[in-house]
Amino acid sequence: MAILSKKDQGLLMDPLADNNPITIQVLGICSALAITAQLKASIVMALSVMFVLAMGNVVISLMRNIIPSKIRIIVQLIVVAALVIIVDQVLKAFAYELSKALSVFIGLIITNCIIMGRFEAFALGNGPWRSFLDGIGNAAGYGLILIIVGFFRELLGSGTLLGFKVLGDPIQKTGLYALGYEDNGFMLLSPMALIVVGIIIWIQRSRNTKLIEEN
Amino acid sequence: MEHVELFFKSIFIDNMVFATFLGMCSYLAVSKKVSTAVGLGAAVIFVLAVTVPMNWLLDQYVLRPGALEWLGPEYADYDLSFLSFILFIATIATMVQLVEIVVEKFAPSLYTSLGIFLPLIAVNCAILGGSLFMQSRDIATFGLAFNYGISSGIGWFLAILAIAAIREKIRYSNVPAPLRGLGITFIITGLMAIGFMSFGGMLTGGNDTDEDATKKLTTPQGEVSVQDDADEPIAEVKTTNNK
Amino acid sequence: MANTEKNSYTVIFAVVMVLVVGSLLAFTASSLKPTITKNEKFEKQQNILYAMGVNENVEGEAIFVPTDSVQAIFNKYIKEQLIIQNGKITKDSSAYLIDLKGQLKKDMEDRELPLFIGEKDKKDYYIIPMYGKGLWDAIWGFIALDENYVVQGVYFDHKGETPGLGANIKQRYFMDDFTGEEIMNDTKFTGITVAKGNNDPLNERKDDGKVDALAGATITGNGVTAMINSTVKLYIPYLKDLKI
Repeated sequence: MAILSKKDQGLLMDPLADNNPITIQVLGICSALAITAQLKASIVMALSVMFVLAMGNVVISLMRNIIPSKIRIIVQLIVVAALVIIVDQVLKAFAYELSKALSVFIGLIITNCIIMGRFEAFALGNGPWRSFLDGIGNAAGYGLILIIVGFFRELLGSGTLLGFKVLGDPIQKTGLYALGYEDNGFMLLSPMALIVVGIIIWIQRSRNTKLIEEN
Repeated sequence: MEHVELFFKSIFIDNMVFATFLGMCSYLAVSKKVSTAVGLGAAVIFVLAVTVPMNWLLDQYVLRPGALEWLGPEYADYDLSFLSFILFIATIATMVQLVEIVVEKFAPSLYTSLGIFLPLIAVNCAILGGSLFMQSRDIATFGLAFNYGISSGIGWFLAILAIAAIREKIRYSNVPAPLRGLGITFIITGLMAIGFMSFGGMLTGGNDTDEDATKKLTTPQGEVSVQDDADEPIAEVKTTNNK
Repeated sequence: MANTEKNSYTVIFAVVMVLVVGSLLAFTASSLKPTITKNEKFEKQQNILYAMGVNENVEGEAIFVPTDSVQAIFNKYIKEQLIIQNGKITKDSSAYLIDLKGQLKKDMEDRELPLFIGEKDKKDYYIIPMYGKGLWDAIWGFIALDENYVVQGVYFDHKGETPGLGANIKQRYFMDDFTGEEIMNDTKFTGITVAKGNNDPLNERKDDGKVDALAGATITGNGVTAMINSTVKLYIPYLKDLKI
C-alpha cells in the first residue's frame, strides 16, 4: 500500500467499518433489502455498484468546477443514468447472457441513493483520484453488508449458499434435514433483511462504542 | 370503483415503504421527529402527485414504442423507451427544483418548514419508483396516474409518520445502547413491514382471486368467447395443411 | 473560469448537457440496435425450443441450445409458425418475432396471435407464447402442449422480479413442475394454478392443475397463474380444430 498515502488509505478502509454507507451513513438501503435473498445476487449487485460508483465519482469530480450549483442534482442524476444505460446497451449487444443476469439491477443502481449521496458528499469537492478511491471504498463497505446479509438470508432461508445445498437436501432428507431441521422461509422475505441489518448495527456498535447514538 | 381500488391498493397493499421498500434512506434518516417527518411526507405526496402524471404523459406520447404516432404515421416505428430512465429522472429533478423556486417565492413560511427536504426528495427512490411502476403496470388513464401518484405518496406519508411517532416514544424505553437510534429503527421497520404483509391478504387471499386476476387481464382487451365463429377459418387451415 | 452561478451559464450548460448526453445515448442505441435485435431474436428461438424440450439442461440447471446454432435447430424442430388473426390462421415464418405484449393491447379483431407447431421424436408440440405481469414488471414465457392439452414443458422469464424470490420462476425446479399438468378438465378450460399450501413439493400429483408456489413470491406466482390462464385461453378454440 506504499503508493497510497495515509489519507488515501482512509478513503478506502473507513467505509468498511466506522463510516459504513449502510449502517452509519444510511445510504443504499432499498437495494440492500431487495436483492439480498441470494448471496449471488448480493455479490453481483456489490460489483455493479462498485463499477458505477467509481466511474461516476470520477466523472462528477472532473466536472465539479463547471457544474452550475442550481442544477447540480439533475446533472448528477443524468450522468449516472447515462452511464448505466450505455453500459446496459453495450452489454446487451456484446454480452447478452451477462446483461440478462444484470438487467434486474439496472433500475436498482440508478435509484440507489448511495451513488447520489457520494457524488454530493465527496466527488463535488475532491479530485478524480481521491473520488475514485472513495467510490471503491464506499462500494466495498456497501458490498460487505450486502454479502453478510445475503449469506445469512440464503443459508437460513433456503439452506443453500451460491446455489449449493450446504445443509443437505430438504426433499431427500439428508444432512441437517435428516435431524428434523427446516428452512426458515421467513428469512427470504424483505422484512428479515431489515432485522438482519439491525442486528449487524447492534454488533458493530457494541464493538465500537463511539458510534452509539444519544437516543 | 377502479379509482377507489387503486387508491387503497397503493396505500396499504403496495405501500411504498413496507411492500416495495422504496424510499428507505430518507425514511430512516429523517424520521427522528414527527414534525419533520410530516414535512417530508407532505413533500413526497406533492412531488409524486405532480411527477407521476407528468411522466405518464411523457411515456404515453413520447417514449413507448409507437407513441410518436401523433406526429404522423412515419414516426410510428420509433421506440424511445431506452430514454425513459433519463427522462423520468429529468422530470423529477426539474419538478423538485421548480417547486423549490415557486414555494420560496410565494409561500416563504411553507418554504422554511419544507425547504430543506425538497432537494432530498430528488434522490428519494420512492419518487422514481413511482414513475417506473406507473410505466410497468400500464396505468391506463391520466386520472389513474394522478390517483396512483397521490395514493402512493399518502402510503409513504403514513409510513414515515408512524415510524417517527414510534421513535419519539421509544426514547423513554430502555433500548440496549448499541441498538439506539438507527439499529432499533431498522428492527421496528422490519416488524412493521411484517404487519403490513397481512394487508397483502386483501389482494392474494381467498379462492377466487385468480379468477379476478384473469378477468382484469382479459376484459380490457375484449371478450374471449369467439369459439363459435371460429369454425370456418379453421377449415381453411385444414385445407392448406392438406395441400 | 466562467462564473458558474450566472443564469445564462446555467442555461447554456443545461442545453449543452442535454445535447451531449442525448446524442451519446441516441448514438449508442442506434449503432447497437442491430446486434441487440439479433440477440433478442436468438433468445426468442431458444425460449421456444426450451419449452418444447429442446435444450441442453444439466442437473438442476436450465441451459439453452447454443446461440450460434440456434437458427438451424429452430428450423429443424419448428415445422409451422402460424398467426391467428380474427379467426383466420395464416402461416408466417417470422411469427416468432411478434411482440405479444403489443398484440394483447389491441382489439380482439386486430390481434395477431402467434402459435408454433414443433415436432420432436414424431410427436407434435403446440407452443403458445404468454405475457403477463409479476410483482415489479413484465413476465413472459412459452408453454408447450401436446394434442391432449397436457403440458410438455414451459419457459418463463421476467424483467425485474426480486432476485432469489420471484426471479426463481425461471429456475428449473419451478418450470419442471409444470410438465404433465393438464390445462383442460374434459372440455372445460381450467388452466394451471400456482398454489400455496399445495402440500405437494415434489409435484407427485401431476394432473391436478396445481404446482407448488415459490416461498416468498406470492404475487409473482399469482402473476404466472393469471398469465397462463389468460393467454392460453385465447388459443383453446383454435387448438381444438388444429388437432390432427
